[in-house]
Amino acid sequence: MTEERDSQLSAMFDGELPAGECELLARRLVRDDVLRAQWSRFSMIGAALRAERGVALHDRVALRAQSAIAKEATYGHGADDGNATDAAPITAAADKAAGRRWLRFGYPVAGASIAAGVAAVSIFWLRGVQDPGAENLQANTTVPTTIILAPEPASTTVAVNTAATQPAASAEPGSYTTPAPSSTTSLAPSARLANYVVAHSEYSGPLTRRMALLGIVGAEGSDASVGPDAAPAEDVDAP
Amino acid sequence: MRLDSRLAPSKSGHSRHSLTVIASLSMLLLAGVAMGAEPKEWLDRMNKALTTRNYVGVFTHVRGTRAETLRIIHRVRGRDVSERLLSLDASGREFIREGDELTCYFPDKRTVLVERRQPDGPLLGALPSLADGGDSQVYEIRGGERERLLGRTSRVVALHPRDEYRYGYRLWIDEETYMPLKTQLCDQTGQVIEQILFSSIDMSDRIPDSMFKPQVDASNYRWLRADRRVASAASPALWDAMRLPPGFRMSSRANQALPGSSEPVAHLVFTDGVASVSVFVEARRPNAQAAQGPSRVGSSSAFTTVVDDHQVTVVGEVPPNTVKFIATQVKSTSPRSTTPPASATEGLGIAPQRRK
Repeated sequence: MTEERDSQLSAMFDGELPAGECELLARRLVRDDVLRAQWSRFSMIGAALRAERGVALHDRVALRAQSAIAKEATYGHGADDGNATDAAPITAAADKAAGRRWLRFGYPVAGASIAAGVAAVSIFWLRGVQDPGAENLQANTTVPTTIILAPEPASTTVAVNTAATQPAASAEPGSYTTPAPSSTTSLAPSARLANYVVAHSEYSGPLTRRMALLGIVGAEGSDASVGPDAAPAEDVDAP
Repeated sequence: MRLDSRLAPSKSGHSRHSLTVIASLSMLLLAGVAMGAEPKEWLDRMNKALTTRNYVGVFTHVRGTRAETLRIIHRVRGRDVSERLLSLDASGREFIREGDELTCYFPDKRTVLVERRQPDGPLLGALPSLADGGDSQVYEIRGGERERLLGRTSRVVALHPRDEYRYGYRLWIDEETYMPLKTQLCDQTGQVIEQILFSSIDMSDRIPDSMFKPQVDASNYRWLRADRRVASAASPALWDAMRLPPGFRMSSRANQALPGSSEPVAHLVFTDGVASVSVFVEARRPNAQAAQGPSRVGSSSAFTTVVDDHQVTVVGEVPPNTVKFIATQVKSTSPRSTTPPASATEGLGIAPQRRK
């Protein structure tokens, strides 16, 4: 479900989601904190990436989206249910702490409504940029994007159970056209392979060690098994 | 007299002027030093910042269509290094390193792995540095230009691989803190494989112990620990790679106990100064079906094969062909073996060579 949602957002971000469904997803963005957080991340990433290639306007979006992330990503309150949106506003407390030097790359956050505004502004701005008739499209299409957030063009229709979360009056259809996610060549690592990667990370350099661990701690590693292959009884310790 | 007093600057005013001049000259001097720094120096500064400073950062990790937000907390107290890496997204997984112990929490699997570094293994500060000598043979280090990123002034440094046996890196190093604001892992053509983008970094002087506590109650999880007795009771690891890709050299060789395993595993580590590759060799289990071939965990490639009835698995942040090549070169060096004994030398030259 998360992957489908990410694909929808990616498609919207890259202007590949049909206009009607883009509007529906945008409405959902306003209501759904998790979706909005993910959109903010995509906005920031895309903006930061494109900014290096001279598309200056993206800077503005990056900074705004950054503010939304700063609001969500606060330490000491990690999400335990997969959402980062319920993180406490520790930023204010942290800023008060003496001796701390914050390197905030975004602007101060006034509240969640700003994040919604950010998402909305970003959506419309990006849609405008990627309008085939727009002059500035040329710059975006001729510069190869070094990171691929866009899903593959093939599309599938998937059913989304909205009954529990959507009010009946929303008139929101129960399906979205979801481009198929990019195929990855990675295989789900075996339990032993995950153990190997952890052991290997202990001998990696400071930069590559994190890259190695991210493969397991990150989303891609979520499919990874951990622990012994056969889980023999003698291998299991008490905490 | 009045005129003199009007023209002559007061003592305090003169002092202020002098201080201003000195401060300005110092700033210019410092700026000159920074501007004239070689790309390698920026890498060295970054490495030092990453390993010696306290920081709390939030970053986004992007690979393909996947993006995940994570938090990293890093603290140095004398020789004690603590680090916590946790996912703020769905998996909730986190890794906490304290001393020589790395604890991995997998809430989605209700499992905890406890990995211990070998007592005689390299310390954190002794790990291969990006700026170690010799890396220029296999990496071209270039850049150092200023670039604005997310409202900060950064220096862009690229490590471009000279061959296909390793990945390249592009780093946006913050000019003030030397922290890598953005890191890109690239293939030889420059195509980005994955990247890390910080959204905030707090360079705190003090980070409380409470920030290294896991966010989950793992008391009811399955705990898997490495048993040191397994490794200490094992015979020496008599395995080596007969040939290595250019620039790689052995940095560690030992027997190791892995969490959840009752058998020791021979663990060899090779590095080119930036990337590292681990070779794990263990006796094949009776009636066990050997998993052979390539696999991948994040940006790490792996290749498994069978040699002399042992399972050999090579893992590293290198292209798939590199781990495959090394895996096919792993041989037993026991006295009974007909293979020549290996020495701790490195492969040199453009093409892989037999170790001398």
